[in-house]
Amino acid sequence: MKSILTSQWLRPVLLIIMILIGWDLLIRIFKVPPYLIPTPLSVVGQLWNEWPMLVKESAPTTWATLGGFALSVLIGVPIAMLISYSKLVESFVYPLLVFSQSIPKIAVAPLFVVWFGFGIIPKIIVAFLLGVFPVVVSTVMGFKSVEQDMVDLARSMGSTRMQMFFKINLPQALPAIFAGMKVSITLAVVGAVVGEFVGSNSGIGYVLQKANGNFDLPLMFAALVVLSMIGVILFALLDVIERLMIPWHASQRNDFQSVV
Amino acid sequence: MKRRSIALSVISFLAISLFCSSAVAQQKEKISLMLNWYLYSEHAPFFLGKEKGYFEAEGIDLDIQEGRGSGPTIQAVAAKSVPFGYADVSTMIKVASKGAPVKAVGVALQKSPMSVMGLSEKNIKKPEDIKGKTVAMTPGDSMSQIWPLFLKKTGLKEGDYKVVSGDGQTKLNAVINGQADLLLGYLMDQNIKIQDATKKPVTVIPFADYGINMVVSGIIAHKDMLKDKPDLVKKFMRAATRSFEDATKNPEAAVDAMLKANAKAGQRDSLIVGLKLTTPLYHTSETEKLRPFRVSPKDMKESFEMLLEYGGLEKTAGKVEDYYTNEFLP
Repeated sequence: MKSILTSQWLRPVLLIIMILIGWDLLIRIFKVPPYLIPTPLSVVGQLWNEWPMLVKESAPTTWATLGGFALSVLIGVPIAMLISYSKLVESFVYPLLVFSQSIPKIAVAPLFVVWFGFGIIPKIIVAFLLGVFPVVVSTVMGFKSVEQDMVDLARSMGSTRMQMFFKINLPQALPAIFAGMKVSITLAVVGAVVGEFVGSNSGIGYVLQKANGNFDLPLMFAALVVLSMIGVILFALLDVIERLMIPWHASQRNDFQSVV
Repeated sequence: MKRRSIALSVISFLAISLFCSSAVAQQKEKISLMLNWYLYSEHAPFFLGKEKGYFEAEGIDLDIQEGRGSGPTIQAVAAKSVPFGYADVSTMIKVASKGAPVKAVGVALQKSPMSVMGLSEKNIKKPEDIKGKTVAMTPGDSMSQIWPLFLKKTGLKEGDYKVVSGDGQTKLNAVINGQADLLLGYLMDQNIKIQDATKKPVTVIPFADYGINMVVSGIIAHKDMLKDKPDLVKKFMRAATRSFEDATKNPEAAVDAMLKANAKAGQRDSLIVGLKLTTPLYHTSETEKLRPFRVSPKDMKESFEMLLEYGGLEKTAGKVEDYYTNEFLP
């Protein structure tokens, strides 16, 4: 019994069940009408009834998310490396990056539809714009916090730049890069949906828009649940990759976790 | 929930104190009307009525608030955050069928402005011309829901045309930039915007020309208010009726009144064109001789049945009489 209660997977499930019960109770106690907030049961009902449709529509959203995330990593990490190795690049690029991050993506998203049409590209771009910033910030931090003593030691032993990068800098920066990527992937989900809101013939954003027009609040919440599930699954996948790539790091060692 | 109730109590406290201070001063009651959207030509009559003192004459200090879609406006009325709302009646019926205690107390636009439109240079003048073209629409909105009925009435089939979906701005962008040939819109709204942007004429095919008529905007109120303050509702509707009558006669003055209250409402010329296209929608053949807002039971019934069949309204929605009333009109 104790082992079930302490299992990693069960804890969040238990919390979700508690939240659902609390949600239902609040609606009953305060008599919140269903046109303001749907009951958990009606949301579960719609989730059940519309499940095939929701699964089908989540595919384009997932692809857009993954596309945006991949771009975030492929473009964000090299930019961050340049920033952390060159003061000149940092002074030019970093302020611009922060500036661009403050632009509300929803305001520019309609333009992407004008420029790139109704396909997957505008969604990928919005997902990329939301997802790239955390990757850059964390990666810069990761590369900057490499221990100088290690670098000096390696240099004194005559290692090449390449060797230093792959043996010291990159491994030491990886934990920070992964932290950034984890934030990035959840934001990329949001970005993909924002892109779909603006112009799309499919995807969870399309379902949300349609449910909104019909005042089908349960379906809207069901779509949001599916969306969160996409985020959770992608996050969990990234977590597994992280464990495989940096098993030596403090956050991945079991002795550390058992203390928590 | 708690935050909401705190906000509500703060608002009601403010409202009460405002009410008291103004009541002492001039016996006027501050009454808010929440619109369905940001200001555009359709809203100008309310500003004309306010400027001419029609609301003041009824003891109402009218406060006009911009909205963000009919849905939220109806929810605000249902939650008693505002006493009156100006919103899409078919949307109201859907929300009310889910339990929102609201009712339409007057229907302003009784003839449907729903249309399919595109640049005239595309040469799309009748429904058959839509074949092979691309139509931009917003998923889930009232026009995309009625669209299948338009297809049926005009002998078109799904698959005769391509669809691109997007929000309101995307629809416009798509037609302006040529990604779509047509969009589903209102004949006093998008066509003017497209014309303004491209300086090219726009051809409009109204749904109403093919026997599809649906009531659109109206004034909605909470059922409790109809019970507790019938006099206030009557006063409000009397002032609103006079405002709409005046705006029909003098659209320029109505637009000027709106621009005086909010200079950012739009370009004067476009707003006047829009309002001139709007006022003919105040009456159907059924209500031609009647004053504005008075809707005919037949028109309401037709709209209701259309909602049942195409609009996603559930069969449990009951009778159309539960959703509107003419009894507070002058």
